[in-house]
Amino acid sequence: MEEIEHPIRNNFEGLRGWLKLSGYGWERVSYWFQRLTGVFLLIYFIGHIYETSTIVNGLNAWESFLELTQTVWGHLFLIVVIGASTFHSVNGIRLIFTHVGIGLGTPGRPDYPYNPSSLNYRQKSGIWIALILSVLAMYYGFNILFGE
Amino acid sequence: MEIQRVLKESQIMKIHYITGIAAIFVVAIHIMMRLVVPFESSLNYDYIIANYKNIFYVLILESILVLISVHGFNGIRVILLELRQNTAWEKVITVITISSMIALIAYGTRTIILANGL
Repeated sequence: MEEIEHPIRNNFEGLRGWLKLSGYGWERVSYWFQRLTGVFLLIYFIGHIYETSTIVNGLNAWESFLELTQTVWGHLFLIVVIGASTFHSVNGIRLIFTHVGIGLGTPGRPDYPYNPSSLNYRQKSGIWIALILSVLAMYYGFNILFGE
Repeated sequence: MEIQRVLKESQIMKIHYITGIAAIFVVAIHIMMRLVVPFESSLNYDYIIANYKNIFYVLILESILVLISVHGFNGIRVILLELRQNTAWEKVITVITISSMIALIAYGTRTIILANGL
């Protein structure tokens, strides 16, 4: 079967369009955070794989790397990682539910002021739950890392 | 090599969701196994080497490595395909993300195998 050639259509907004937050609702904030935390967590994961690989070079290599990461700033960075991973996980579950149609509400006649039924309190509360759980997880992480 | 010829985009998104959900469970086990001892002790060299010799924990680590690599690099692919849409860009992004994913899994697996033998 012959492949259909699509005309080249570049997204001229590019990164600026991706990062634009104003003029949209909480769903846009959630969209933005989901991608931002996703990219951040992948960068952290690559760093973590590299960090743990130093253990194969022996005790000295491991302990000298720990001196770099086990600092106040290293712990604060870990707390941000905890918050980002909690938000990404909880909001990701909300997005899976949304993708399969859970929490979207029933379709209705489009009447003025044309509020879309899909952007309802269930979606918004899901975003708030993700944000609240992130803060709680960061607080728990803070107590573990700075508690003793 | 074009992933869209092998898998439909809807199937790739199913893999994305499944790897995401599965990663939450295995990362939770990973964190819980860190927290059974005080945080400072969990970073002790001998304790970590002992962890790498525990076959159950090794399987958890390897599954975290595979699941997050697949999920993460597919996420990057999705973001980059949102920014620009044309066939050449799609091919380049697919090849780069799959290659990076394989490289990261190989590097992490190397650590697990070498640490297991220490």
